[in-house]
Amino acid sequence: MFKHNPLMISSTVVLLIALLAACQPQQSENVKDNTRVKELSAGVVKHNSDLAYAIYSDSLMLAEVLHDDILLLIDSPSKKTLHNARQSWIAAREPYGQSEVYRFRGGPIDALKADGSMGEDGEGPEGRINAWPLGEALIDYVATNIDGNAGPENPANTIQGNLIANVQDYPQINREVINQFYEYGEDERNVTTGYHAIEFLLWGQDVNSDSKGGFSRDSTPGQRPYTYYLAIEGQCTSGAIKVDAQICERRGDYLIAASEMLIDDLAPIVAAWQPQTGEHYKTLVQNPSDSLAGMLESMGRLSFGELAGERINISLATDSQEDEHSCFSDNTHRDIFLNAKGIENTYLGTYQKIDGTMLKGPSIDSLLREIGQVSLADELTKRLDSTMQAASQIDAQAKNGKPFDVLIQEGVQQSDISAMIERLVKQTDSIEKAIDALAVSTQSLRQDTEQKIGE
Amino acid sequence: MRLAYIGSLSIYLGLSACSPAPSSPKTESLTPSMPLEIFSGGDATTFVSSNDAFSQRPNAIAKNFRLDGAFTTGDHLFRSAQNGVGPLFNNPNCQGCHLNDGRGVVPTTPQTLMTSMLFKLGDSLGKPDPNYGDQLQPFALNRVATLNESSHVSMATNGLWRIGEGTASVSFEIKNGHYSDGEAYQLRQPIYRVSGLQYGPLSSDIQFSPRVAPQVFGVGLLEAIPIETLKAQADPNDTNKDGISGRIAIAYDILTQLPSVGRFAYKAQAPSVLQQVASAFSGDSGITSSLLENPTCLPTQADCLANLDENSDIPDINNEVLAFIEFYNRTLAVPARRGYNTDTHKWQEPIIRGQALFNKINCQGCHVAQHKTGVAKGSALGAITLQGLSDNATPIEVLSEQTIFPYTDMLVHDMGGECEVTLSDGTYTQQCSGLADGLPQGNVSGSEWRTPPLWGIGLVQTVNPNATFLHDGRARTIEEAVLWHGGEATQSLKQFKQLSKNERSELLAFLGSL
Repeated sequence: MFKHNPLMISSTVVLLIALLAACQPQQSENVKDNTRVKELSAGVVKHNSDLAYAIYSDSLMLAEVLHDDILLLIDSPSKKTLHNARQSWIAAREPYGQSEVYRFRGGPIDALKADGSMGEDGEGPEGRINAWPLGEALIDYVATNIDGNAGPENPANTIQGNLIANVQDYPQINREVINQFYEYGEDERNVTTGYHAIEFLLWGQDVNSDSKGGFSRDSTPGQRPYTYYLAIEGQCTSGAIKVDAQICERRGDYLIAASEMLIDDLAPIVAAWQPQTGEHYKTLVQNPSDSLAGMLESMGRLSFGELAGERINISLATDSQEDEHSCFSDNTHRDIFLNAKGIENTYLGTYQKIDGTMLKGPSIDSLLREIGQVSLADELTKRLDSTMQAASQIDAQAKNGKPFDVLIQEGVQQSDISAMIERLVKQTDSIEKAIDALAVSTQSLRQDTEQKIGE
Repeated sequence: MRLAYIGSLSIYLGLSACSPAPSSPKTESLTPSMPLEIFSGGDATTFVSSNDAFSQRPNAIAKNFRLDGAFTTGDHLFRSAQNGVGPLFNNPNCQGCHLNDGRGVVPTTPQTLMTSMLFKLGDSLGKPDPNYGDQLQPFALNRVATLNESSHVSMATNGLWRIGEGTASVSFEIKNGHYSDGEAYQLRQPIYRVSGLQYGPLSSDIQFSPRVAPQVFGVGLLEAIPIETLKAQADPNDTNKDGISGRIAIAYDILTQLPSVGRFAYKAQAPSVLQQVASAFSGDSGITSSLLENPTCLPTQADCLANLDENSDIPDINNEVLAFIEFYNRTLAVPARRGYNTDTHKWQEPIIRGQALFNKINCQGCHVAQHKTGVAKGSALGAITLQGLSDNATPIEVLSEQTIFPYTDMLVHDMGGECEVTLSDGTYTQQCSGLADGLPQGNVSGSEWRTPPLWGIGLVQTVNPNATFLHDGRARTIEEAVLWHGGEATQSLKQFKQLSKNERSELLAFLGSL
């Protein structure tokens, strides 16, 4: 990332436009057109930023509901309260999955530092919120014979027992301890925070309905019973065995702290996107051409590298449950659907809030049509829709008893999964075309690519 | 840098049909005034300076969706254990050693597992050991070894691993020294031990070369420095009489089956990033690939041969996985310099003075600051797509024709010292003077090392607070690493020790800004 570029290039572009305008008065018609395009671009960016605020606000609200349901679970562990907490986790993933299209563009999720200033991509809270795969053995009891790797990258980065079981070394389970062991030993599998740490604690490892694991997977997710949270002597369990009641109490402490931390990590992102007071919101809306570039770039990077590549193709190619995004809850079909939905949302300028309100406003689609790129707009609309159909198919399979981890076990030719990859690749082609078509607006994006530093 | 852009813009304006292009006075203020050397990796530079500074992709990769995807997949694979690990190994996955894409750590006690550092093996002529090969693999999957479950390895890994070929450890003796101004310093002199050997004795003339996993970034750029550049810098007979006699390392290229110029690993025994990746998979993780198809089990290691992973493919990883990881390694971005004030357009004063001292005492005689890369060819394995590999891999632009600042000549130098190994009660102990390891590889002797690049060195302990410096991690600080120099660097070290305290801190401030 080249910190000092965007400003410099935009001022260069301004200069260029100013010079051209000054010496070509006969083209006032075009200038007028340009004005309309510019206004529309600004509208698209503003609306996209409004959507971000709505999506992150929804994410935060459902993280708070999750936290409330976790408190109820810990207060009175039962089948019902555990089920409710799990349902809240699944619900919380719905807006968050759609927010991921706001990654890869120097936005708050990737770059908002703990001190409130904006840093570089990679310095924001994204990892603390959504990092995976987990080396869950650091956190709590794990079964030994599982299809996956519960440990860290480097076994030197293990601790004696695990955080919850090791009462002696970690007498209190609280935010400080959880923070201290985040990426313990500079080990990226030692993820102690975020959605997936909470997911692990709520479901446990996905070891099939017989709890025996093994290579052949069934349709069930993790099978932890509520007794993992029953802090009563003689009733608290870890796997098949009864353990000290304080283990269950500490498990509860962990869940409460982790869900509080999730809220605290999401809240500053919401604040940054707040239309009246959010610093990031203001910066974006003031620089529509850079922002438009960022929107398209995120759409492309999420489509290809993150979703088609890392989240789908690797799992498929390696038939690895470990490389499945939500491997404990078997909610990966929703991750896939929602990531793709977020991309389509950004293009169409749409988002349906959790209260049911449909938000719709100026979009990249309308911008393409405004500059006369009607067939490209049609193509992109069609391809995004076709991707959503493939995502719906994966979603339907999961709901019919074939979750993602079972689908990938059918082999690399699994047609529903490979269709999803192919369509994401195709839509990426069209996103590239849109970037070309909107070249003026995405100038800084192109220049960074083509610019040779050092010459 | 940005001058090129401003320049082409001026030309464009100049050619436009209307009135003569104004020689805009604003052009001056638009000209970015960041000095070239901030961009240590040219286009492949990152401005992230946090603990993730060594894990970044260049901007130009991020903005090309296909390359971005290849990087993301390579990154994921680099972090994951692949099928077919072992049965004998040092670590099952890449990032398990290259912690956070940075350096590994030296175990602090003999009981601490040595998981991100390894011992190369060979006799004093460099010949691999007949029972153990060219590298000690201290761990085995638990189905292999016969040792009882109470071993320290078994305990530390909850029974997942057993002792492999044996146990390597490092301990230190403190060595006192002082600068010319009387200020004292202490260095850690390492003593290496190998014990608990499972497959019989080592050869009588055995030598150990302990090495900590290095930081990874920048290798794609170093690979693209033309051979001619290296040749022009070499001065094997020290014809310029500066006491420095850099030589080109010769390494055997597995793909071409020809001798080539060695570039990677501490003694430059790998000619390419691809071969280094394949060698690490094989030697460190026991994972076979098309380049190195044979398991590392030796004929004498029957339990190793009998316990190869039946569920894994042959070879264990395919060329796609290899190519993704090669691409990731090649394109990891180099951290930008720190210490330049973009408002005042000035480097911090100590950094400027430190750089002058660096040159004055001839550190740059080996740590050559600037190079220009040639064309960085596409992977020898083919072009990467999500559907597989295809022919006609195109060059990697972000690595090609770049002006870079790695601070290395990519040559090997004699750093002095010699080693002695003793055997007592089944424990081999090696003690060396200077930086020597006693183990020759190819045409590189037991006291020669490739000049390591210095870019990013100031962020090593930001990325991994437990990381240390030099090939075996003996230096706790950059200052200690400087003080360990000898051999061809003797004159430079002498001058360093004669610097005033203030000058030394300036030199270190400069190194810290790299």
